[in-house]
Amino acid sequence: MTVAVQCEGVAKTFGASVEAVSPIDLHLVAGQTTALVGPSGCGKSTLLRMIAGLEVPSAGTVLIGGAPPSQTLRDADLAVAFQDPSLLPWRSVRRNIELALDLARRPKRAEEIEQLIRLVGLEGFADARPAELSGGMRQRAAIARALSTQPALLLLDEPFGAVDELTRQQLAQDLPALWEARGTTTLLVTHSVSEAVMLSDRVIVLSPRPARIVADVTIDLPRPRRPEMARDPDFGQFTEHVFAALSKGVADTLPKAAQ
Amino acid sequence: MTRYALGPIAALVLWELIARGLAGSFVLAPPSAIAVYLVENFGLIARALGVTLGNAAAGFVIGNCAAIALAACAIVWPRSDAAIRGAALLVFCLPLVATGPILRVVFGPGPWPQIVLAALAVYYTTLIPLLVGLRAVPSDWLDLLRSYGRGRFSALLHVRAMAALPYLVAGLQIAAPAAFLGAMVGEFTGAERGMGVLTIRAMRGMNVEMTWTLAAVATAVAMLGYWGIGAIAARMLQEDPPVILAAPAALKGGGLGTAAMVAFLVVLVWDVGLRLLDLNTFFAKGPLDVFDALALAPDARDTWSILLRALGETAVFLVPGYFAGLVLGALIAMLIVLVPSVAGTAMPIAIALRSVPIITTAPLVVLLMGRGAAGTMVLVAIMVFFPTLIACLHGLRQAPSRVMDVMNSYAAGPLQQLMRVRIPAMLPAFFAAARMNVPASVLAVTVVEWLATGNGIGSTMALSASVSDYDLLWSAVVIVSLLCVVGYGVVGLVERRVLRVYAPEQLA
Ligand SMILES: Nc1ncnc2c1ncn2[C@@H]1O[C@H](COP(=O)(O)OP(=O)(O)OP(=O)(O)O)[C@@H](O)[C@H]1O
Ligand SMILES: [Mg+2]
Repeated sequence: MTVAVQCEGVAKTFGASVEAVSPIDLHLVAGQTTALVGPSGCGKSTLLRMIAGLEVPSAGTVLIGGAPPSQTLRDADLAVAFQDPSLLPWRSVRRNIELALDLARRPKRAEEIEQLIRLVGLEGFADARPAELSGGMRQRAAIARALSTQPALLLLDEPFGAVDELTRQQLAQDLPALWEARGTTTLLVTHSVSEAVMLSDRVIVLSPRPARIVADVTIDLPRPRRPEMARDPDFGQFTEHVFAALSKGVADTLPKAAQ
Repeated sequence: MTRYALGPIAALVLWELIARGLAGSFVLAPPSAIAVYLVENFGLIARALGVTLGNAAAGFVIGNCAAIALAACAIVWPRSDAAIRGAALLVFCLPLVATGPILRVVFGPGPWPQIVLAALAVYYTTLIPLLVGLRAVPSDWLDLLRSYGRGRFSALLHVRAMAALPYLVAGLQIAAPAAFLGAMVGEFTGAERGMGVLTIRAMRGMNVEMTWTLAAVATAVAMLGYWGIGAIAARMLQEDPPVILAAPAALKGGGLGTAAMVAFLVVLVWDVGLRLLDLNTFFAKGPLDVFDALALAPDARDTWSILLRALGETAVFLVPGYFAGLVLGALIAMLIVLVPSVAGTAMPIAIALRSVPIITTAPLVVLLMGRGAAGTMVLVAIMVFFPTLIACLHGLRQAPSRVMDVMNSYAAGPLQQLMRVRIPAMLPAFFAAARMNVPASVLAVTVVEWLATGNGIGSTMALSASVSDYDLLWSAVVIVSLLCVVGYGVVGLVERRVLRVYAPEQLA
């Protein structure tokens, strides 16, 4: 089952004056992976949280598969990997994953959980508490947890921030394969332009706060993507393009901020 | 290990020497005499201890279950939070000295008054840290639950309950000695058996050895309770329970509205409760009776003059003792931090003394200081001192280590660090202690007045109970509870003023 996401004029203002997201129209195509890049503090997490139904937009509407996010939440049909891994410290990796399955009212199949833990490279650490893991390992546990409920919509907020380069490459191979097989609609927030290009079908570039879309780049590189493709001229063009949009967004905003 | 043992051993030796020096003055029993008395009267004391422990345990369980249920209710149904806190505070402010005799009349000579008093003595000190703990959850964890479409109840079950465990333990630790204290106060009101009964007997007979032995046993038991719960917790939790006495006073807009609602609720429950229980109206006075006695009755003026005079007598001891305890607690905490070598030894001793049911040593204070003003003031000050010391020490140590690193990198001296970082970090804990100490000091002063000095509001309440002037007794209960709540509120107001300047993040 795949779902599309439609954001119409979605905006968020915190308090009276902190405008985090200016009205944004954004359509996530069902089954696609969309990356969201933008400077730090521009409102990426806020936009993601509004799509997840965790934050109420100040204006505009979000529809997931034609229904408001509250419906998707009720069906536990989305999963979020938060910027902070937010694993419960008193539960082991396995039990943290089991909690998600319990909360989503999904059956707990030991074999599937084991497979997920292996997928994110945590074999041998299933029974470790979060405190016994490194920052990157915790992030991977959070990814495994988000994948465990087989959500139709997967929202990842900088999931690889603390993950080392080699593991990141491995995950960049394995995760899209899984999403494709499941038809998961994925939104990936990231700071890394090359990671955005490598993983996604489409990259949305946001301006500094308040966020607005400054570029919408379709990445039509063949799948499956391999690490070697990073040296591909096409790949270089895409990253160049995204990077230019990113810089332009910042440059356009700077004079205004300086006034 | 030797370091911890050295202090107490020195204290014991000193105590023995002083007591021997004072022999014949009937104030101080040496440790050796206490040991002898304990061995000779082992059966008697063991039986009494068994009875009191049983009552204290029953009250401990009931009171803490009530606290857990109330806290859960406040979390699952946040609108009830203000009402629950307010009503709980009011009930906590009931003067045990008066509720004791009333419960005695209601329940008769059995164990129930002791059990109820023990429960009343513990539920608040568990409820408040629990509420803090249940809320001290990273918002990400709650978002995680929401992202799977789950609500408050799941949050309570899966996240908040576990996150609050250390706070619950902190509350239970304080509750263990408090339950023992409550049970003993209950026994003072005319039980047939128990440590409280023996204490009264010892005091009436001016039996110095017996008084000191009972106080020593009560202290040892209370400390064991405190340490026992701590030890069990340490095995379960892997982290030290936090020392939290009370959340910052919540007085966001509508404070008065909430207060009015709570007052209405309490009056309603009081009135309907008495009617439902169908108690004899001779001693069970409702809110209308109290209003009548204080406002309409022909002798209302006399009632007021009795109450005001008694309150005046009490205030003279209570207020200086309260402030002396607060100031000393904070000052000594700062000294300990400035001289870190002291802290290692001082902290365990202070924690141990914090758990002593100070009230049960009231007879000692009377023996030592006489029935005059000094004894009362000292007792109030001691009662306030230890919780303040512990809270302040904890606060002083909570100074964020990164900020301390910055201070060190500028080679700021210990005094600078104290003034600029540690004291601001200490203030929230200090004020929490100051608030919780309002009812505690009232409890101390009324018990001493009742048992020993024979003046002030404590004695007035005890007398009115013994001559069955129940209009006066209930009126006194109402007035004392209200004053106590007002005192708590005033400290809360000062707290908000000060924290707004020094620790605004605490008020978020
Ligand atoms: N709950 C909140 N209350 C007030 N302001 C907020 C809140 N959450 C975010 N903001 C503000 O909104 C802006 C955008 O925040 P957001 O977390 O969405 O940024 P981001 O793009 O995810 O940044 P980063 O890449 O650093 O994670 C920031 O200026 C932040 O200060
Ligand atoms: Mg973010």
